[in-house]
Amino acid sequence: MEVSPARRLWMAITYVLLVATALLMLVPFVYLVCSAFKTNDDVFRSTFLPAGDGLFGAGWGRLTLDNFRRLFTEMDFGRHMLNSVFLASVTSILATLASAMGGYALAKFSFAGRGFFTNFVLAALVIPAAVLIAPTYQLLYWMGLLDSYAGLILPGIAPAFGVYLFRQAMLNSVPNEVLDAARIDGAGEFRVFFGMVIPLVRPMLGAFLLITFLGTWNNFISPQVVLQSSEKFPLSVAIAQLKGVYSQDYALQMAGTLVSIAPVLCLFLLLQKEFISGLTSGAVKG
Amino acid sequence: MLTTIRSALSPGGWAIVILAALSTLLVLSRPDTRRSGLDMWVFARPHHEMYVPNVESWNASRDPDLNLYLLSLPALERRMSSGFLSDTPVADLIEADVRVASRAFTGPLEDVGFLDLTDRIRESGILEEINGPSFTPWTSRGRIFGLPHDVHPVMLAYRADLVEEAGIDVSGIETWDDFIGAMKPLMADADGDGRPDRYLLNVWETQIDTIEAFVLQAGGSYFDEHERVAIDSEVNARVISTIATWVAGPNRIAVDAQEFTASGNRLKLEGFVVASIMPDWLGGVWKHDMGDLSGKVKLMPIPAWEEGGCRTTVWGGTMLGIARSTRDPEAAWELAKHLYLSEDLARQLYESNGIISPIRRLWAREFYDVPDEFFQGQAPGRMYIDLAPSVPHRTSSPFNQIAKERVRDALTRLRQYAEQEEMFTLEELLPEARRQLASAHEDIQLRVDRNVFLKEDSEGQR
Amino acid sequence: MNTVVGRSRWTPLIFLAPFIVTFLVFTAYPLVQSVNLSMHQTYGPKTSTFVGGGNFTQLFGDPLFWKALGNTFLFALGSVLLQLPLSLGLALLLDRPAVKGRLLFRLIYFSPSLAGIVFVALLFGPIFEKNTGLLNVWLNSLIGFDLEFPWMERHVMTGLIVAGMWMYVGFNMVYFLAALQNVDRSIEEAALVDGAGPWQRFRHVTIPAIRPVAGFVVLLSVIGSFQLFELPFVLLNNTAGPDNRGLTIVMYLYQTGFEIGDLGYASAIGWSLAILLMILAIALRLLLRRYED
Repeated sequence: MEVSPARRLWMAITYVLLVATALLMLVPFVYLVCSAFKTNDDVFRSTFLPAGDGLFGAGWGRLTLDNFRRLFTEMDFGRHMLNSVFLASVTSILATLASAMGGYALAKFSFAGRGFFTNFVLAALVIPAAVLIAPTYQLLYWMGLLDSYAGLILPGIAPAFGVYLFRQAMLNSVPNEVLDAARIDGAGEFRVFFGMVIPLVRPMLGAFLLITFLGTWNNFISPQVVLQSSEKFPLSVAIAQLKGVYSQDYALQMAGTLVSIAPVLCLFLLLQKEFISGLTSGAVKG
Repeated sequence: MLTTIRSALSPGGWAIVILAALSTLLVLSRPDTRRSGLDMWVFARPHHEMYVPNVESWNASRDPDLNLYLLSLPALERRMSSGFLSDTPVADLIEADVRVASRAFTGPLEDVGFLDLTDRIRESGILEEINGPSFTPWTSRGRIFGLPHDVHPVMLAYRADLVEEAGIDVSGIETWDDFIGAMKPLMADADGDGRPDRYLLNVWETQIDTIEAFVLQAGGSYFDEHERVAIDSEVNARVISTIATWVAGPNRIAVDAQEFTASGNRLKLEGFVVASIMPDWLGGVWKHDMGDLSGKVKLMPIPAWEEGGCRTTVWGGTMLGIARSTRDPEAAWELAKHLYLSEDLARQLYESNGIISPIRRLWAREFYDVPDEFFQGQAPGRMYIDLAPSVPHRTSSPFNQIAKERVRDALTRLRQYAEQEEMFTLEELLPEARRQLASAHEDIQLRVDRNVFLKEDSEGQR
Repeated sequence: MNTVVGRSRWTPLIFLAPFIVTFLVFTAYPLVQSVNLSMHQTYGPKTSTFVGGGNFTQLFGDPLFWKALGNTFLFALGSVLLQLPLSLGLALLLDRPAVKGRLLFRLIYFSPSLAGIVFVALLFGPIFEKNTGLLNVWLNSLIGFDLEFPWMERHVMTGLIVAGMWMYVGFNMVYFLAALQNVDRSIEEAALVDGAGPWQRFRHVTIPAIRPVAGFVVLLSVIGSFQLFELPFVLLNNTAGPDNRGLTIVMYLYQTGFEIGDLGYASAIGWSLAILLMILAIALRLLLRRYED
């Protein structure tokens, strides 16, 4: 098909806009990476790479790993990263499991109260988290779970959003005939669930695992409120503290931020497609 | 069966599962890093550096061990608060500043998280040894909850190089009017850009600490000695009206060169602002952050608000408190005395940070008389000590921070009013200032009244 | 579980159990308890006294609460009005099949939303500095923008809207993109055949098709914006900023509940937020329904 000049112009404009926006989006990231490797004086002296006589007019020799060294030796960031990984991965696995099981029950069984529970879950979606912080804190205090990992993980295992997503996924991807066939063959309910249902909702599993992992990794207010001992702090709380103690040392802060964002970005690269399709499946039918 | 398991998750999903397994193992196998002995939290890096060798020598010779931790001030405040309120672990010794310590005084007296030290302080004779006003921010409802760290008298630091270059004689300056009159020539527009080349005073409507310092100097206050709201007073109104005339209008002499900001420091280095109020601790900070100013700065007592008025004020304050939940109150008390009454530490505190000790018998020591080249050979220690007895009292009210912010808002509105109505003299602004302060007073009073726990105490005890 | 063929009555409930139990303990119970709490004044989680409706009357006359409400509302309004057209615009641009590298663009636009708000707050600290920060320096060299523009002192909410846009434009775009890709092509082609111009096609085919998703995105954005907390809290170094310009509803809740220790008042604030959001959600729904006719 012939491409008209008007069309070509339109395409050119489109690309310009897209690329310009992309560059704008990337600027803070580039700034982050560059600053993390600079000394604190250099952070404001030059925007990206430090000025110098090297390649591209940059002072490559002025880049330093010092910030990272300090983070992992003096500031115990290794420990904080471990805490983040632990909390995020354990919470996401437990939450995904609970949600998948719950969604399965609501989608594939008919039982008394199913309608009630389904509406229950849908209603729970609109509760703003903020209203629960104070009473949950009090509850955790009464249960003796303050300043413990359990106090952070347990409340996170029941996301209504998860049950909702998995219910959708099950309704769409798990045909009843397959389940009935498996049952007739003599498979027990858990066998059916883990052997047949789980593989069928694989995309949603990956998506929700990552969604919850991300949510927990980035969560600030819960660990800030629940935890007291600094050795249990995840990166989100440790980084806020870093800013407090070293408020003028921007290079150090940037290094800490980079260390906190990088793992999540990597994980996202692995699970991109599933993540996005999982995220949007709740809003877009089909 | 194996293929079914493997196909259950994508590679990314398995990555998360593996991370979970590994991290769980690592976390659970990690030994509890809580060390034995007493924990101490500090928030000021210079303090931390100074205490380290003393702590080491204590640990080497005495039991129990002291573990020193440096936290950011907000973090210390949060963890102290939540630790006191929810029975979660908190350090045995906590160094807190005025604002943070007052958090502990919000509830019933018996619930104050700090150990009541009043009797210990009296019995050991420390009460007489230490400068009286220094106890005031740590005293709630008549009980003392911390050992004072400092006195923090305030003087005026000014660019002596600029002043001498302009041939100005500062020896006759007694009041603010004198100051402005003498320093006015420095504001001339020599480079012809339409703006003054520099401003005389570092104060702004956003600088809540400076405003409070001036109020206290003039004899005003936000709370009276019984921690009752006292914002609505004539003295307070005069002070904020005066500040309003300094920051806006044709007689503006002030500029915002906020401490601890990059832009504020630049303005000071460039000589864009001539004078700032300087508590003893700020000298140490300037030397560290703006070494280029060495030899260019001198100190003088703050110009008074009226003839014969007070020439100093107070800014800041730190105390050492012992948590009521401590495992070993006697050891903690010994440690607290060791750190805070030590002459050696007092000397270090002065030499590295310029801070004078609250212990009166140490005031005669010679290290306070050593000339300081940063201040063109003046001896700041002696100068601050001379002002120490006149240092105003500070309140321990937990509402002081909100009061400071509220007064700042009142001043901001006053300034806006001045600009709108084009009124820039003290007399014109006084009525509006009184109105704004009355409103601020009401706001804070409302908050104070709301606090059921404090009210119960006050009704019971008075 | 046994291997009996057929389903027992309890199977669905067993599968639901983990969720239900946790939900009851950690969501339902706190929700109910928060109503109770909101009628008390507490000093930490231990000490409390009953004050009845006192918290709510106090809240009504509390200037800080209204300030927080105003700030939050401003942020939500600015965010929704600015972000969504941008997200939609980007999605429309990316939706054309002729665009190459669509996945790469999508990845780039989406990635800021992966960074936690806490981390973004740290990232934007040096960017918003006056005189020396990245934003002012760039804008100054580009359009002569005021170097001293005090983002974090006077124009906190504006700065937050900027940071919020960076974070979420791509996120919302992804939703719009998914919706656009589900638009029935046959209807669009029919419109084309009928001679409808691009603007008419947009108005009469595209918009109705994506309206449900748009509604969802608006709702999500509004609910999210109203819960703004970490961004100003960390940017302003654990304070609400000068003159409380950075104070948001959730920040006020946090300060009251966890800095002052009054969990009761904090719960009252929480409920005010919940009721406000409920009203907004219903209003949005009604608005949407009206446009559908």
